[in-house]
Amino acid sequence: MAYKPQYGPGTSVVAENRRKQMNPNQKLEKVRSVTDEDIVLILGHRAPGSAYPTAHPPLAEQQEPNCPMRKLVKPTEGAKAGDRVRYIQFADSMFNAPSQPYQRTYTEMYRFRGIDPGTLSGRQIVECRERDLEKYSKELIETEMFDPALVGIRGATVHGHSLRLAEDGMMFDMLQRNVLGDDGIVKYVKNQIGEPLDRAVAVGKPMDQKWLKAHTTIYHSLVGTPYRDDTEYIEYVQRIHSLRTKYGFMPKEE
Amino acid sequence: MTNAAFPQVRIVPIRMLKPATAERLLNMLAGIAGIRRMMIHGPGLPKKVPYGPARGSPNPHSDRKAIRVADAEIALRVQVGTVILEVEDASAIEEIRSLCDDFFVEFPYLLQEGRFMKTAPTLVDYAKYGPDADTSLVGLTDPRNGEKPVVIRTEQ
Repeated sequence: MAYKPQYGPGTSVVAENRRKQMNPNQKLEKVRSVTDEDIVLILGHRAPGSAYPTAHPPLAEQQEPNCPMRKLVKPTEGAKAGDRVRYIQFADSMFNAPSQPYQRTYTEMYRFRGIDPGTLSGRQIVECRERDLEKYSKELIETEMFDPALVGIRGATVHGHSLRLAEDGMMFDMLQRNVLGDDGIVKYVKNQIGEPLDRAVAVGKPMDQKWLKAHTTIYHSLVGTPYRDDTEYIEYVQRIHSLRTKYGFMPKEE
Repeated sequence: MTNAAFPQVRIVPIRMLKPATAERLLNMLAGIAGIRRMMIHGPGLPKKVPYGPARGSPNPHSDRKAIRVADAEIALRVQVGTVILEVEDASAIEEIRSLCDDFFVEFPYLLQEGRFMKTAPTLVDYAKYGPDADTSLVGLTDPRNGEKPVVIRTEQ
């Protein structure tokens, strides 16, 4: 019987969303559309329309050593062209943001190739070849893994994920990279490291509370689904905790 | 500095306040006679990008602006998260509570009683203000940035 990943335990909607995001066979719902040029502007790694700077010559022009592993693993488009390695970093609010650092890393590892994610408590960075990065960023921003108000694209100065929201529902950002306009649309006025953009980049309207509660991947006893309500998840986590604590004593399952 | 004889309260709105709302709230509080000292607390909004590749470049932010409270102008340098107050007696707390109950209608708030202000000058306070510093002003501002507290005079 072929191995079928289960992705994670749990019976709650949060657990279901986690599995949904991680499962590469499940297509993520597209919620908004952002142009390629807009993505390049927010990332701030190169000017829109300019050529991709390279770190090494394209693989086709290089003499590749006779290596079985290189024959087995096909390079990504960015690696093939010799692009530089660049990054995108997200900060996700604890108030029902649709994704969370650990969740993002799991999801990206299942869905994308040639990436190097870094997971921290309040932010998650993913590094890869520039061409691939733009493709992956588009997917991360356009689908249900993003919310204009509760997810920030922040290369530096990320503080805000655990703070109370502002009156208008935006997550705190010291550099105010994204602002909620009078028309209800969130626009990025600075790139991810805080340099002002020549033109504002619209990323759509913030999702409403009902949608967020139904699509979040974080447990929150005050504004969302309480962790304690998901007994299956707790049972699983406690089992793992117990087994790894006893590991040195050669545990045997009953 | 904290005098144990005076009670302290903290107003914690469930959302962080915009300058316009903070201005309305502080003006409302300025009308209460029994408030001795007041402190605005929250995450900072620096004038320059503090770190990262864009470090040192200007940081325009719509929430970092001056607000007018009674006769004084206060240059906000934080997003208003909590307001800490030291009052004369318990009757002022009840007045604050009744005003805040009417003020926070769109989102809830907490009014907590406790000790929220500095109780003794720190080493940095001593280094900045010296041994003869006015103890009623110590702890109201960040000693590292040289700003002084604002005195609000209300009509008696």
